[in-house]
Amino acid sequence: MTTLTPGANAPVDNATVSVTVTYTPDSGQDIDLSAFLLGSSGKVRGDEDMCFYGQKTIGDGMVQMTEVSAGRAVFSLDLARLDAAVEKVALTATIYENRSTFASVSQLSVSVTGGIEAAIPTAGMQESALILGEFYRRQGTWKFRCVAQGFAGGLEPLAKHFGVEVASAPASSPKPQPASAGSPAAAPAPAPAPTPSSVNLSKITLDKSRSSISLEKKAGGQYGKIRINLNWNQQQKSGGFLGFGKKSSVDLDLGCLFEMQDGRKGVVQALGRGFGSYDQSPFIQLMGDDRTGSVSDGEWLHINGDRWSEIKRIAVFAFIYDGAPNWSATDGVVTLFAPNQAPVEVRVSEEGGQLGCCCIALLENISGEVNVTRRVDFHRDQEKLDQAYHWGMSWRAGSK
Amino acid sequence: MALSLQKGGNLSLSKTDPGMTKALIGLGWDPRATDGAEFDLDASAFLIASNGKVRSEADFIFYNQLKSPDGSVEHTGDNRTGEGDGDDEILKVDLSRVPADIDKIAFSVTIHEGQTRNQNFGQVANAYIRIVNEVSGSEVVRYDLAEDASVETAMIFGELYRNNGEWKFRAVGQGYSGGLKAMANQFGISI
Repeated sequence: MTTLTPGANAPVDNATVSVTVTYTPDSGQDIDLSAFLLGSSGKVRGDEDMCFYGQKTIGDGMVQMTEVSAGRAVFSLDLARLDAAVEKVALTATIYENRSTFASVSQLSVSVTGGIEAAIPTAGMQESALILGEFYRRQGTWKFRCVAQGFAGGLEPLAKHFGVEVASAPASSPKPQPASAGSPAAAPAPAPAPTPSSVNLSKITLDKSRSSISLEKKAGGQYGKIRINLNWNQQQKSGGFLGFGKKSSVDLDLGCLFEMQDGRKGVVQALGRGFGSYDQSPFIQLMGDDRTGSVSDGEWLHINGDRWSEIKRIAVFAFIYDGAPNWSATDGVVTLFAPNQAPVEVRVSEEGGQLGCCCIALLENISGEVNVTRRVDFHRDQEKLDQAYHWGMSWRAGSK
Repeated sequence: MALSLQKGGNLSLSKTDPGMTKALIGLGWDPRATDGAEFDLDASAFLIASNGKVRSEADFIFYNQLKSPDGSVEHTGDNRTGEGDGDDEILKVDLSRVPADIDKIAFSVTIHEGQTRNQNFGQVANAYIRIVNEVSGSEVVRYDLAEDASVETAMIFGELYRNNGEWKFRAVGQGYSGGLKAMANQFGISI
């Protein structure tokens, strides 16, 4: 095994490698891992060269983010089959919204199959965006160098360093304003609209200060495949002052209530095997069940956005199937991904008492647009949720 | 296309570039693109007698002593950031004026305060050192510093040495920790 310190490099023996990044997770901050394909100039050729949470497969599948969860991410790289124009693949870690620096991340390391390990010395680091390491071509073979350098300004200067155009105001609404809005009618040429970037680095977090957002409407009212992910931390934080509290795992189920424009109502959830359907009404499908929450990327609901016009509203919920409800300790996150749009994230940050069902977000069809509203309210079960939202279905007990 | 050296190899300047009498030793690196202390690389030369040591401190050519008394080796000045195109630091060597009791001239590159800044060659982008024929402007040989001396802060890039009446160049590629002080100590200069 080769252990690399910053600046050191080692040959990569395998043409296909798996890279695992592990770090000490912290519920107060989110760490995002990304990979950039770089040409000889050290820049990306385009937005398609960036592998991140919003675009997990790039380079014709030669670079993929195969796993992501709190404290861990895995990339697979087929170096031998990468486009010859790619000279380097940089691996980066960024602290979402610069909420802290890497000094607060006690452990951060990279492991490459074939026996290369690199521990990033994070003590005292003022950076909130780091280049962990890079694969690079050297005399016809691939090598890996531990870099451990970065930027105090977070993802934006890092992305610029690699030549990625970043949306100028990451916190702004992704909904474009008409160019003439607010400008006097007699104004000369309207200010040129900023160049749209197909990769939006921003991640929109719905919280108490901003609880609702509309997805940018596409031509013809079609949204493509809208994917909703529920992820959580399997290990609940110990409750006691010195960690004496008992640890317990928790299994969260993702589901939704739906109401179609034609009045049809129902529920999509693993309970009762109501997995729904992507191609037929309700155009919502639950993609299986993750019982652990730590080894994979959680649970997924797919919504056929091209049929959004037939859907009236969807209430996305999480349900604790077993384990004591301790919602704020689950680190539950629901993220909504729509093609070419900033991911919308809702965090379960509140206590739900002993109630087992959390309505996380409401998706409503408002004049053809997808309007997403953060809810995070708690109910005893799906039936109580139904009543609270006046869905009007009749319920009977089911089991998974 | 100039030769790219492999560690340990040598070449005859008289054969590679027979007309060369004046050599430029160019050192270049990219300014730091990431946040943190700048990379400040320094090129130095040691005029070494047959005992493997300098004759005196005057034989140590670096940023605070830019010229040898005989005028054979001259440092053209310190660049502290690596900004600008091409070579960032240049030493000039007039082979015809090197004193007869000097057997070889060793060229080193050190990272200024590398230890305290936690910097090493592997973290500096595109660091190289090369020899150019001053008269013709053509590059004779080049060495990429980041590959062989990744975690070190000082490196003997190579040495010009006399061999049967001709000048040869050897790619030493030996890295050290300890920076310029350790390097100077090794050649018999106590700092």
